[in-house]
Amino acid sequence: MLSYLIDIFLIGIVAALINNFVLYYFVGICPFVGVSRKISTAFGMGCAVIFVISIAALISWTITTYVLMPGAPLTQWAAGLFMTPEAAAGVDLTVLSYIVYIFAISSSVQFVEMYVRKFFPPLYKALGVYLPLITTNCAILFACLVIMSKIVGVDNPADAWDLGRGLTLAVGGGIGFTIAIVIMAGIREELDLCDVPKPFEGAAITLIVAGILALGFMGFTGVDSGLRKAMMPEPAAVTAQVQAAPEAGGGDVHN
Amino acid sequence: MADQPTAIERFVQGILPENPVYRQLLGLCPTLAVTNGLQAAITMSAAVTFVLVCANVITSLIRNLLKPHLRIVIFTLTIATFVTIADRFLAAYLYQMSKVLGPYIPLIIVNCLIICRCEVCASKQGVFTAGADAIGQSLGFCLALCSIAAVREILGTGGLFGIRVLPAAWSDWVIMVLPPGAFLTFGLLLGLVNWYSDRRSGKANRG
Amino acid sequence: MKPIEPMEPMPQSTLERLKNNNIIQAWLVLSLALFFGSALAGVQMTLGPKIEENKINETREKVPELVLGKEGAQQMAEAGETLEALPESVVVEKGGKQSTYSVFEALKGGERLGWVVKSSGQGYADKIELLLGLDPAAEKITGIFVLEQKETPGLGNKIVTDAWRGQFVSKGTAQRIAVVKGGNADGPNEINAVTGATISSKAVTDIINLAVADLKGPLAAKGSEGK
Repeated sequence: MLSYLIDIFLIGIVAALINNFVLYYFVGICPFVGVSRKISTAFGMGCAVIFVISIAALISWTITTYVLMPGAPLTQWAAGLFMTPEAAAGVDLTVLSYIVYIFAISSSVQFVEMYVRKFFPPLYKALGVYLPLITTNCAILFACLVIMSKIVGVDNPADAWDLGRGLTLAVGGGIGFTIAIVIMAGIREELDLCDVPKPFEGAAITLIVAGILALGFMGFTGVDSGLRKAMMPEPAAVTAQVQAAPEAGGGDVHN
Repeated sequence: MADQPTAIERFVQGILPENPVYRQLLGLCPTLAVTNGLQAAITMSAAVTFVLVCANVITSLIRNLLKPHLRIVIFTLTIATFVTIADRFLAAYLYQMSKVLGPYIPLIIVNCLIICRCEVCASKQGVFTAGADAIGQSLGFCLALCSIAAVREILGTGGLFGIRVLPAAWSDWVIMVLPPGAFLTFGLLLGLVNWYSDRRSGKANRG
Repeated sequence: MKPIEPMEPMPQSTLERLKNNNIIQAWLVLSLALFFGSALAGVQMTLGPKIEENKINETREKVPELVLGKEGAQQMAEAGETLEALPESVVVEKGGKQSTYSVFEALKGGERLGWVVKSSGQGYADKIELLLGLDPAAEKITGIFVLEQKETPGLGNKIVTDAWRGQFVSKGTAQRIAVVKGGNADGPNEINAVTGATISSKAVTDIINLAVADLKGPLAAKGSEGK
C-alpha cells in the first residue's frame, strides 16, 4: 500500500516537473506559444487542460483496458458470441486505438462544454473559450498514448497501470502544462517592456525563452530516483550499502 | 472560384512563402521533438507527407458531399486512419525508427498542419490542386525539419546521419540534442528567417 | 398508451425533414468509417505478424552475442551454425506480488548454452530496458546489452558502450554486483561507474541484481531438470 502511494506520488512528480509535457516532450506547444500573452488567460487555459486531460485519461484507460487491448474482457465476450473461444482470445483491436482516442477526446470536450454551460455558468465563462481549442492540443492525446503504452504490450502483466496511475499521470501532466504556460506568460508580460530585435518579436523570442526555461527544468532530472531511494529503502540493498550512502541526495552527482 | 490559387501556385507557396513551420507556425510538436537527428526528421517528414497527401486527396474527392457541421469529424477520421496505417508500416519495416519516434507518429493526428490544409485547400479545390498543395506543404515541412535537425545534429554530435563530419577537436554541444537545444535552435532559425524575409520585402518595396 | 394512427401518405415536407435528419446526414461519416475500418483491418492482417516478429527478433538477434560473447558469436556465424532461441516466460512470486520475465533459452543442437533475460527498471532520466545473458546454470553473467535508454547524451548514455558493458562479463551471480566510483574496481564483484554518471551505472546494476536474484533459482532448477 505504501509503495503504491509512493509510486503514484512519483508518477505525478515526474509528469509535472521532471519530464514536463511542454518542456521535455514538446506536446501542447501551439497553445504554449499562442495563449501565453497574459497570466490570467494562460491560467484559464491550464485549468481547462487539466480538466479535459483527466476526463480523457479516464475514458481512454477504461476503453483500452476493457475493449481495445488483446484479451480485453468486453471484446472477448462480444467476440465469443460469434466465434470459438480460441479465436475470440486472439482478437486484438489495438489498431483502432488512435481513432478511438481522438474521438473520445473530441466528444468528451463537446459534452464537457455542454454540461459546464448548463450547470456551471461562471465556470463556463472562465473556461468556455478555451475548451474547443483543446481538442487539437497534443498534450491530451499524448497522455492517452502514454497510458496506452503502459497497459498494452507490457512484459509483466502485474506492471500494467491501473486507473489511479493513469489518472495521476494525466493530472500531473496537466499541472506541468499549467506551470510551464503560466511561467511563460509571466515572462512575456515583462518581455513586452523589453527592446527585442524586430525579427525576433513574437514567437521567436518566446521559443528562445522556452529553451532557457527547459534548461532550468532539466535540473529536475534524477530527482525521482533520489526521492524513490529516500522514501523506499530497498530490503535487498544491505550488501550494497558501502557506497550507497553518499548518493542518497539524488540528482547532484550527475552532470 | 476564379481567385483560388492554381496547382502550381499552391505547390510553390507551400515550400517557402507559406512554409508551414517558419511562416505559419503549424505542427510545432514534431518540429521540436524529432529534430535531434536528421534520420528521424526525414522519417517524420515522410510520414507527414504520406498522411497529408492521402488526407488532402480524399477530402478533395468528397468535397461536394461534405456538410459544414460534419466536416471536422470527417477530416479527423480520415487523418486518424492514415496515421494508423503509417504507424503500422513504420513498425513493420523500420522498427528501430518507429521506436525512436514513438508517440510522435500518432501525434500527427492532432498536427494542425494537416487539418488546416484540408480546410483551406482540399475542401474547396480539385484533386490535382489538393495533391500539389499537399506535396508543396510537405516539402516545406521537410525542409524546415531538416534545417533544424542538421543544425542540432552537427553541433550536438559533430556529425550528420551518425557519420562524424567535424574534426575530433570539436567538443560536442550535448545541449543541442537535448530538449532545450530544440527551443533555442528553432527560435534562432525563426528569427533568422524573419530577418531575411523582412530584408527582401524591404528591398522589393524600395526597388 | 396511444392508439396507433393509420398511416397517411407521406407529405413532401416529411421527406424534406428526413433529408435534414442528423442520422441521414451522417451517412457519409458512417460509410467512410466502414471503409476505413476495413482498410485498417486489412493493414493489421498483413502487417501484424511482421510487427510481432520484429519485437521478438529485436531480442533474438542479440542472443548469440550475449551467450557466447562477440567473438564466439562471430565464429559461430562464420562456421554457418545457428543458435536456437526459445522464448519463454518465467513467473516469479515474491512478497505476494507476481512478476513475469520473458526469457530466451539458447540452444544449439539440443544442448543448452545459456539464458537471455529481458529486464527493465528506472534509470536516471527514463526507463532502462536491457538484456542479460546467463550461463546454463545461471551462475555467471555472460553479457549485457542495453535495448532502450534515454540517459544524458555524453554521460549516462555511455552505459551502452562495449567497454562499459564488458565489465559485467563473467561476473558470478552468487554476490550482488557493486558499483565503484573513481575507476578502481578490483573486487570480484565490482565494476567501475561511468565517469559523471554514477546514477545511471547504479541503475543498470540494480536492474541486473534484481533480475539475478529473482531468476537464479528458477533458471537453475530448470537447468538441472532439463539435463
